[in-house]
Amino acid sequence: MHHSAYFSDYNPAPNTWDEMFGTDAQIRGHYEKVIEYLTRESIDELNKKEDLAKRLFMSQGITFTVYNSGEGIEKIFPFDIIPRIITGQEWAFVEKGIKQRLHVLNLFLKDVYSNQFIIKDGIVPADIIYSCPHFLREMHNVKVPYDVYVHIAGIDLIRDYDGTFYVLEDNLRTPSGVSYMLENREITKRLFPDLLPQCGVRSVTEYPNILYRNLLSLSPRQIPHPTIVLLSPGIYNSAYFEHTTLARLMGVELVEGRDLVVANHKVYMKTTTGLQQVDVIYRRVDDEFLDPLVFNPSSVLGVAGILGAYRKGNVAIVNAIGNGVADDKAIYTYVPDMIRYYLNEEPILKNVPTYQLGNPEEAEYVFGNLNKMVVKRTNGSGGYGMLMGHAATQQEMDDYKAEIIKNPRDFIAQPTISLSAAPCYMQGKLTPRRIDLRPYALCGPDGIEIVPGGLTRVALREGSLVVNSSQGGGSKDTWVLV
Amino acid sequence: MPEFKIQHITKYTYDGPVRDSANQIILYPIKDDYQEVIKHEIKISGDPSVDIHIDYYGNEVGDFTYIEPHSTLEITSRIWVNTKHRMYPMDDIFAEQQWEDLRQLHGQVAYIDFLRQEYFDGLDELQQIINKDKVANETPYQLAMRFCKYVYENFEYIKGVTTVETTLDEIWALKAGVCQDFAHILMEMLRLVNIPARYVSGYICSSKSHWRGEGATHAWAEAYLPGYGWLGLDPTNNIIANENHVRLAVGRNFSDCSPVKGVYKGAATHSLEVAVSVGNPGDSHTEDYDHEVHHETPPALKKLTQVPQNSYRLYLEMMQQQQQQQQ
Repeated sequence: MHHSAYFSDYNPAPNTWDEMFGTDAQIRGHYEKVIEYLTRESIDELNKKEDLAKRLFMSQGITFTVYNSGEGIEKIFPFDIIPRIITGQEWAFVEKGIKQRLHVLNLFLKDVYSNQFIIKDGIVPADIIYSCPHFLREMHNVKVPYDVYVHIAGIDLIRDYDGTFYVLEDNLRTPSGVSYMLENREITKRLFPDLLPQCGVRSVTEYPNILYRNLLSLSPRQIPHPTIVLLSPGIYNSAYFEHTTLARLMGVELVEGRDLVVANHKVYMKTTTGLQQVDVIYRRVDDEFLDPLVFNPSSVLGVAGILGAYRKGNVAIVNAIGNGVADDKAIYTYVPDMIRYYLNEEPILKNVPTYQLGNPEEAEYVFGNLNKMVVKRTNGSGGYGMLMGHAATQQEMDDYKAEIIKNPRDFIAQPTISLSAAPCYMQGKLTPRRIDLRPYALCGPDGIEIVPGGLTRVALREGSLVVNSSQGGGSKDTWVLV
Repeated sequence: MPEFKIQHITKYTYDGPVRDSANQIILYPIKDDYQEVIKHEIKISGDPSVDIHIDYYGNEVGDFTYIEPHSTLEITSRIWVNTKHRMYPMDDIFAEQQWEDLRQLHGQVAYIDFLRQEYFDGLDELQQIINKDKVANETPYQLAMRFCKYVYENFEYIKGVTTVETTLDEIWALKAGVCQDFAHILMEMLRLVNIPARYVSGYICSSKSHWRGEGATHAWAEAYLPGYGWLGLDPTNNIIANENHVRLAVGRNFSDCSPVKGVYKGAATHSLEVAVSVGNPGDSHTEDYDHEVHHETPPALKKLTQVPQNSYRLYLEMMQQQQQQQQ
């Protein structure tokens, strides 16, 4: 049935949605052309392509940083040459679902920092919001341009055993990874130049242009050439490669905190010819470090007084400050209710069922079923500090439980969802590995746009369900077909 | 109806030039039925423009920057204010009813921040102390007064043993501190029994008796009582804060209300002088403030002995050195 040696070891995992194989072990229509192409290629040829991809990543310095590894800080992000393919129909659904969700999350942020109708009406408990460390009282009644708080969102999606899409988490602060989406595509173009047009793969290269256009539209000064900068924490940040890439692609200045200064409630960039007023800041510095006057006073990554300039509307900051209250994992639970509340619509994309450990009854249930749960910190990211119940030892579970009891509000638990699998090229064979999907949504004054694609992360270790790059994950090019 | 003229000077002196200074001041008296501001002026060296906004807790907050190199920063605030005596609580509702009313406040946005317990190691011990001395049918007002007295009697007032960064644990271990520490402990106690408590910064003013906290900025706590509202309690002096207390700001704790704070760039260390003087109208005010001046070298900003004698490197050092100043 499979006419190639590449498939001899391909064993789809039970109870798992395989992106390539249907239930009848037939190759799904949207994968056919790629598989046909692969079966015509020799192993040597594919190995060469894989090798070329590695060399390209290395020579272009496409890296990320792993914290606490004790080794060199920069690593190559492992890349799998076989694309992940999404049909036009699947994409239309995902796109609609993300637009709905992002629209609502923006409404929620506006509400929670002004009238708080959603609290008054008892939809989201005040306690959950006020105990969130990212709920910044400093943002109360601050007017942000066009009421857009989340200009850039990376919403993580996974697919359960029946192919249903679930939102795993919302990333609304400084979501990273979009440069890999762009670079993966560039590399695939070199590996399989003919295949992309033949298959009808939609382009993602518009991303920097759309982002740039949105940034431009936020300028508080109506002048022909407003100054836009990308504020990076610097070379030690895990996404520094991305900061340089995006600044280059958009043609904006790449700056660090020490390059900026606030005078008269305006932000200026220090240049060789003097101070130049800055209109829009795409910042990749977290809220806590953004303004040492107001937040962490020991931060040297930010700019003292920047919040004052922002409050006066003299500078636009992207994403807005204080978004962490909307992507907190305890508040995530309430997003479907928010959709019903603000839009009077049913959520298009489902949430993964989530238990709040701050709630004693739910905590009891979770402790009784810890081996079937994934437990996470409500304000963590990057796969650090998670407990994967199915793979943990009793000792690990006990230790983690002790951590939870200290501060239950900071934890949530979700049943282990078995992530869909897609074929990866490994030692001359195609092998299924678990994947997720992070599309990048851009919200500007005229609405939300999502380039057709995203970052597909792969858990490269066999059987692993953790796709985070910091935890041994890799990535694939993501094809959305017309 | 007492009338006060208050002069509050904050002066930072640096032992070398600093720049890119950004500062926040919460020095604007609250305006309400019990406090009328007749005149208020703020002068800042270098004459920067100050932007004022209302923060989450309703306080007026000013911020300004001073980017040119400078070696002193002086902020002078002159307040002319009228205060009114507020009636003490009648406290004529049954105790049980009052406690029930307080329970109803749980989860309400207006009180949520003032009920949240700040965790510290002495919390269990504090809870035991509270449990041990329980009095039957005590009203929240009576209990709050008793807590105020407890803090007054069990903590020693010693200037300089604590700083703005001293934690509750340290205060608890020392059993000593200044007004802000007294206020924090009292707030912890009130929150433990479900009485909303907030921090108040301001001035204590009197021409008659001599009180602790004069000559500097003062701080106390407010407890929320059913049927009355916020009652000011000054545990440093064991009195109800009334017409002799001029309020500047309220918040969850000191950091929500810190009167003056800032960051700057430069390799210099700073010393801070604060002088508060209170006079009655008619006094020739400008000369007579009593000099209770605090010199402070924050421990984090020790003299940098290894500053290189190389202007280029000195410049780099200066640009990287970001320091914090707070009153």
